[in-house]
Amino acid sequence: MSRSWSPSRVAAGLVLAAWAGLFWFLLVTGRWSLYLSTRTFWVVPTGATLLTIAAVLRLASARTESRDPLSPRTSWTLGVIALPVVLIMALPPATLSGYALGRRSGFVGSGVSVSADDIASGQLSFIDVAAAQTSKEGMVALRARAGELATLEGFVWRETGAPADEILLTRYVVTCCVADATSAQVLVVNVPPGRFQPDDWVSVTGRIYPLGNQILIDASRVTGIPQPQRPYLSP
Amino acid sequence: MAVDVARPPVSPARAGSSRRAGLLVIGTLAAIALVVRVADPAGVAWLQNFLIIFGSLLVEAMPFVLLGAFVSAAIEVFVPTSVFANLGRLPRPLQLPAAALAGVAFPVCECGSVPVARRLAQKGLAPSAAVTFMLAAPILNPVVVASTFVAYRGRDSLWTMVLGRMALGFVVAVAVGWVVGNTRKEDLLRPRPDDDVEGEDADRPRWARFASHLTGDVMFMGRFLVMGAAIAAAVQTFVPQTLVGKVADLPILSLVAMMALAFLMSLCSESDAFVASSFTLFGPSAQLAFLVAGPMIDLKLAALYAGTYSKGFVRTVIVVVFAVTLVGTMWMQVVFG
Repeated sequence: MSRSWSPSRVAAGLVLAAWAGLFWFLLVTGRWSLYLSTRTFWVVPTGATLLTIAAVLRLASARTESRDPLSPRTSWTLGVIALPVVLIMALPPATLSGYALGRRSGFVGSGVSVSADDIASGQLSFIDVAAAQTSKEGMVALRARAGELATLEGFVWRETGAPADEILLTRYVVTCCVADATSAQVLVVNVPPGRFQPDDWVSVTGRIYPLGNQILIDASRVTGIPQPQRPYLSP
Repeated sequence: MAVDVARPPVSPARAGSSRRAGLLVIGTLAAIALVVRVADPAGVAWLQNFLIIFGSLLVEAMPFVLLGAFVSAAIEVFVPTSVFANLGRLPRPLQLPAAALAGVAFPVCECGSVPVARRLAQKGLAPSAAVTFMLAAPILNPVVVASTFVAYRGRDSLWTMVLGRMALGFVVAVAVGWVVGNTRKEDLLRPRPDDDVEGEDADRPRWARFASHLTGDVMFMGRFLVMGAAIAAAVQTFVPQTLVGKVADLPILSLVAMMALAFLMSLCSESDAFVASSFTLFGPSAQLAFLVAGPMIDLKLAALYAGTYSKGFVRTVIVVVFAVTLVGTMWMQVVFG
């Protein structure tokens, strides 16, 4: 009995191939970091490989003995499954913005791999500062470094009614994917008024001062920067 | 001359409508891509946030669904039905706890366990045991236990959370299995159009049958995953998490609020402990309610369950999971605060 290409199997294979293409695209362009934490990076090559295998298997077994037409209903179902591929690939590189701040919790240091010893020595990073705000030992270690120069990168956010030279330097901390993002913020003073808008990415250099449970940076230099390749912090 | 008697003719009208539908779908997708590219969602903050959260939920969940589909297809093609028939003869009081504990050996999150549980029930495992496995695996597997440990490391409530999550997760999964009871697989599983189609593969090589089952599972789960992720992303975009903070001090309402939040947020069980621990206004028992109920029923899973199981199953899971989790965490609230 002769076999012919089954339209519904070929279409399913092509949708799987589109998903595989998306995962390879995220891997090659590095755009996975807009959706996932470095901890869950492995999901991308795994997904790309599994989806490629699934697509190849489906297309290789797409010749059937019976007619297997693609019904309009199946076409729309496959369209729904393919829709996220289209959306993600068409969306310009973007990150969670300040809009989400009011809808998410603050970072509390859960699962953070930074210890008080890490904070006590070496160059201070945003995750060090964020982690210090969540533990007594961390704050003690940071207080010992009060007045030291630090350079942190983040995006600008402003509280309503805040002085014109104050911003909240903000980063999201992502454990697995952006859906679990929590926010970490550092108060920065002495910022040139009116120069930076909310959601602008900036690099702030200044002296760092722990005040109570808050950390303040007295900025000596604030410069605009492009959005970093890895915009989210991993704890 | 060979005559192809097996092929029923496809009418030109039907072929034409299929072609039109296919072209319309492709055209619609192309138009959406063009609009997203040209309109630049960066100018509309809520839309950009929605698309990023929607994308991140799917990028993380799809490989796990696929992994579950690979396991499911392997069970169908390579594991003899007799294995499950033998397990099915065990008394139910033994089957359910054994099924829950089997989840320890299946280190994927909740999206991956759904196709596996469906396949187990189809192959002859008691449906109640398959459901128990499906609900327990995302909580009891070692990756989730380790992530809960890491999230609460250094806190007084560390062992309350790690052991409490495992124990209560086990109890709730067995309770749902017990309520499902002797329901037959024909009554529990929703029939799938491709179940019949696969019959034609019976005399084909194993790899071809494996491919059919694998694709069938991914395509079937995929549509519900996309819908569930869209709803969850919309909720995360528009509903502030601080909304539940107002009831943090109220004994029972705080538990209900955290379960409702877990339902709406649809987080992966491998990361939810990090989010739960950020709700510092809430006590350990409310955080535990979040961690036990979330991996068993949320918006994303409700869509997957609705596509996989018969009408009424989602309601059963919601009622039993919420009720047993509430009772369990109320008891913990009394003991641990």
